[in-house]
Amino acid sequence: MKPLAFLASGAAFGFLLSMARATDAAAIVGMFRLTDLHLFGVIGSAIATAALGIALLKRSGARTADGQSISLQPKPYHRAVLAGGVIFGVGWGISATCPGTALAQLGEGKLYAVPTILGILLGTWLQQRLARRAAVTSVKVA
Amino acid sequence: MQNWPFWIAGMALGAFVPLFAWGSGKLLGISSGYAEACALHKPAGSERWKLWFALGLPLGGLVAAIVRGGPELASTSATLLENFHVSGSAQYALLALGGALVGYGARTAGGCTSGHSIVGIALGAKSSLVATIGFMIGGFAATWILVALAGGLA
Repeated sequence: MKPLAFLASGAAFGFLLSMARATDAAAIVGMFRLTDLHLFGVIGSAIATAALGIALLKRSGARTADGQSISLQPKPYHRAVLAGGVIFGVGWGISATCPGTALAQLGEGKLYAVPTILGILLGTWLQQRLARRAAVTSVKVA
Repeated sequence: MQNWPFWIAGMALGAFVPLFAWGSGKLLGISSGYAEACALHKPAGSERWKLWFALGLPLGGLVAAIVRGGPELASTSATLLENFHVSGSAQYALLALGGALVGYGARTAGGCTSGHSIVGIALGAKSSLVATIGFMIGGFAATWILVALAGGLA
């Protein structure tokens, strides 16, 4: 696929996130306060539908429309996954948005998504820098 | 048009995952798109599509806002931060701090709510289940601590 097709795919996903109210800070706060269970329903039915679709893809030989093989490799597990997840969750609770919904919020005209997005970029950059330094240090120690 | 009931929105988001894989051969994710944005000074590698995908998201948000009769510009959020009587710029600083934790945590865990919680769990990945449990622990803890700090909410 060409860059424009990926851009259009991202637009479709952003549209769906918005229509699902995943970009609505009140819906995220309501989910964590257990006063609005809408997004739990969204996530649950999304997982079930995606799992069904992936099973169908696997059954048909995991090939794309034009016959290329599809990589259905799960993300690797390591010790920092849980800690990283908790850090993400704390940020999710504070900003009431996640990486995808913050970008969709920006398109909706929610200007407060700008500091959130800049923060996500900063955190991403910092993590890569520290991970690289840790890798260099461990090579030196070894 | 109004927003969709949870099961229509969930089924549409869920169906998007295998359809995108069928069309592109790839599993979608967003937080790695931010990593690509941080690597723009390097030559484009095989992951550059993730940046294009992420850049599409605001366009989708705009279309959804138009469908709902908008868009309207909004500078204040409905986050819990509203309950602390701090200035607008202090709220923005706290949103940026929350964002930084989101970015740092997502890249440490190897994905976010899209790549781990929807795609990864649908694949049956242990890492995605553990990461999502972490997301929920952090989200519930931060929310309830903020509620307590605000002295309860109306």
